[in-house]
Amino acid sequence: MLVLSRKIGEVITIGSTVKITILDYRRGVVRIGIEAPKSIPVHRKEVYDKIIELNRQAAKIEIEKLRKEMKNISVKENKNLKDNLTSQTVVFNKDNSQNTTAKEEQNG
Amino acid sequence: MDLNQVKEKKIIKTLQFGVLEIEPQHIFYFENGILGFEDLHEFVLIADEETLPFKWLISVENPEIGFPLLSPWHLDLMYDPGDEFDLEKLVLMVIVTLEDENKQMTANMKAPIVFDVENQRGWQTILPSDKYSTNFVIPKKTKQE
Repeated sequence: MLVLSRKIGEVITIGSTVKITILDYRRGVVRIGIEAPKSIPVHRKEVYDKIIELNRQAAKIEIEKLRKEMKNISVKENKNLKDNLTSQTVVFNKDNSQNTTAKEEQNG
Repeated sequence: MDLNQVKEKKIIKTLQFGVLEIEPQHIFYFENGILGFEDLHEFVLIADEETLPFKWLISVENPEIGFPLLSPWHLDLMYDPGDEFDLEKLVLMVIVTLEDENKQMTANMKAPIVFDVENQRGWQTILPSDKYSTNFVIPKKTKQE
């Protein structure tokens, strides 16, 4: 790891697009200003780690478990919700187990 | 690469839905994968009639991987990801998980999955706002319901 000492107001550059400014240091807390292009996401590491953890957890959910838990939760029936994904969604029907697209379903 | 070959149907064996035949127009390309699954790039959205309004985002490359999704507006009518998302063109869904220890269902409102329908692309974004939680607790039904 590269270790640099910086005073308040001093800047570190990373590549030609990222600038990190030390803004303030008070009671053990450092405030940092980060300028980076939108294509480089900047996040607190713990948020990033939490999202990875939640994604890994979600990826393991069994459909039966969700089906069971669904009965206990309250999800608002939102009729105004536009579903632009309909034509891109594969509709699964357990009974015929043959998947058809939502578009075909609608037309049929 | 032969373009016709790319556009062929794919047969995938999913954990949740058994064997599915996937048309190329149903595949969303995730250039950067999903956080924690950066090596997976092709996903398909599945609506299982028994688990609506949830949808499932299933990996084409590893069909054992699937995420239950819900529209964030099912949970919060005022959900506002910010002006940079053109909701005429993009569809946002949030990943839902079951937290075993406290037996609750939570939704990641902070890091929605964005679908660019026209271009068949998708990505997971992290909203800069502190307004949204990574584990928003989906309320349980009250007795009246």
